[in-house]
Amino acid sequence: MRHVTDVAGRELRSLFVSPVAYAVLSLFSVLAGVFFILNVAWFNDMLLRLQQFQAFDQLEMMNLNDHLITEFYGSMSVVLMFLIPAITMGLFASEKANGTEELLLTSPLTAWDIVLGKFIGGATFVAILTGIVGLFPGILFVYGDPEVGRTLSGLLGLLLTGWVYTAMGAFASSLTRSQIVAFLIALVLMLVMLLLPAMSDLGVAAGASWVGDFFRYLSANAHVERLLRGLVETSDLVYYAVVIGTFALLTKAAVESSRWR
Amino acid sequence: MIEARQLSKRYGDMLAVDGVDFSLERGEVVGFLGPNGAGKTTTMRMLTGFLPPSEGTASIAGFDIFNDPIEARRCVGYLPESPPLYPEMSVKSYLSYVAKIKDVSRGERRQAVERSLERCGLVDVRNRVIGTLSKGYRQRVGLAQAIVHEPPVLILDEPTAGLDPLQIQEIRELIAELAAPAKGETQQTVILSTHILAEVEAICRRVILIHQGCKVVDAPLSELTAEGQSLEELFVRETMGRSSAREERA
Ligand SMILES: Nc1ncnc2c1ncn2[C@@H]1O[C@H](COP(=O)(O)OP(=O)(O)OP(=O)(O)O)[C@@H](O)[C@H]1O
Ligand SMILES: [Mg+2]
Repeated sequence: MRHVTDVAGRELRSLFVSPVAYAVLSLFSVLAGVFFILNVAWFNDMLLRLQQFQAFDQLEMMNLNDHLITEFYGSMSVVLMFLIPAITMGLFASEKANGTEELLLTSPLTAWDIVLGKFIGGATFVAILTGIVGLFPGILFVYGDPEVGRTLSGLLGLLLTGWVYTAMGAFASSLTRSQIVAFLIALVLMLVMLLLPAMSDLGVAAGASWVGDFFRYLSANAHVERLLRGLVETSDLVYYAVVIGTFALLTKAAVESSRWR
Repeated sequence: MIEARQLSKRYGDMLAVDGVDFSLERGEVVGFLGPNGAGKTTTMRMLTGFLPPSEGTASIAGFDIFNDPIEARRCVGYLPESPPLYPEMSVKSYLSYVAKIKDVSRGERRQAVERSLERCGLVDVRNRVIGTLSKGYRQRVGLAQAIVHEPPVLILDEPTAGLDPLQIQEIRELIAELAAPAKGETQQTVILSTHILAEVEAICRRVILIHQGCKVVDAPLSELTAEGQSLEELFVRETMGRSSAREERA
């Protein structure tokens, strides 16, 4: 696995000279700005209204972390869901379309070199996007006093969610030579992920509570909620590692099967 | 240096390559001929480890492609039918990346890139983005990519396709030089496919001709042209004759 960084480095550099990366970066920054302003305006509005109605105990409950930063992170995770597939769709599909797959697979690289290199390239880009998100709550520290720990652990939750999406997108890209198909497969995988809580409810309703529990564990919701509340627990980190690792294994299998077809 | 043992490739019901056997010694330059669809590209893809053979195996520089795939691949420089290029990269950074993944050590990388740029006539375009190069120059970058790590074995699929006459001349000289290098350099074994028979006469000492997946000729060039027949006559006779024989049987 000595070549992981070589593959990742090339991927990142190619991303940064491609128009897709800049389109995603600028669209993402604009959307982050818009959502942040909307959330600030909404927060302000709430404060004013609560004051108007003299609902002091509720006013007491209002805080920047729960009612602004968490909401903002939530909006940004939806944005990431649509933008990350655009980043990952080319990871493997473009190699097949370019014919560079023939170079990669005839070089002294292992399948892990290729799969991890690609994932790390995409994950680094997602980390940059998350960094942009992190700038906005930073502004709040100038004017108010949100809790540092919760703000950062929530951002970690967003980053890990983004990396799960990256692993899914990389897997989708390894299945096809068409970038558009890769984009769509990735979206479908993410939608399934979002529907897991509903499936869990169905399982409970059908009387199979272990099915319900299983789907609830698979869904990212409970895990990201704890991170948003400021709880960084090993079991949640393990969950993310397992999901990302599973998709990495699937991707490796897809890469190897293309070699053996 | 290259040994193919009963190499076969089946696509569904069709046998694209049917039990091809050959063995190349160090320093040989072999022309790999055959009509369109004969199975040349498929054979080369199996030798390089890109495609798994359906049956049979091969070894490169003594490393079996199944048992020592990484070692075997390290010993091969491969120019696929369409050069494997990243259009957004510059020529130089592309070659440097290829040198990295081909295990050229950090200290030797720069020199290796310079040398392949020089050998393939790419010095003037080293900083150009590959996507903006003409087809012939892209072919040259593909060739530079195959030789950058100075592999003992070169597998070239139509290396002169799309080049101008002058460049074809240079590439032929380069290939001849690779097989019979100056002192102190590694001697390379080359197998190249082509449809230009004059090219074979100019640089190859041995010819392997395949037709419908089977090897039909494997002999030194001198032997083949000894009785005054041209390579073209041989090609036509072997490929036409066989297919009509097949039809007669059917
Ligand atoms: N992926 C594939 N699936 C099915 N058939 C294939 C595939 N690749 C090649 N073939 C078939 O295998 C046969 C051999 O093809 P190959 O590309 O090896 O020929 P070639 O000798 O390189 O021809 P050319 O001179 O045109 O390059 C052809 O009949 C081709 O249609
Ligand atoms: Mg071919």
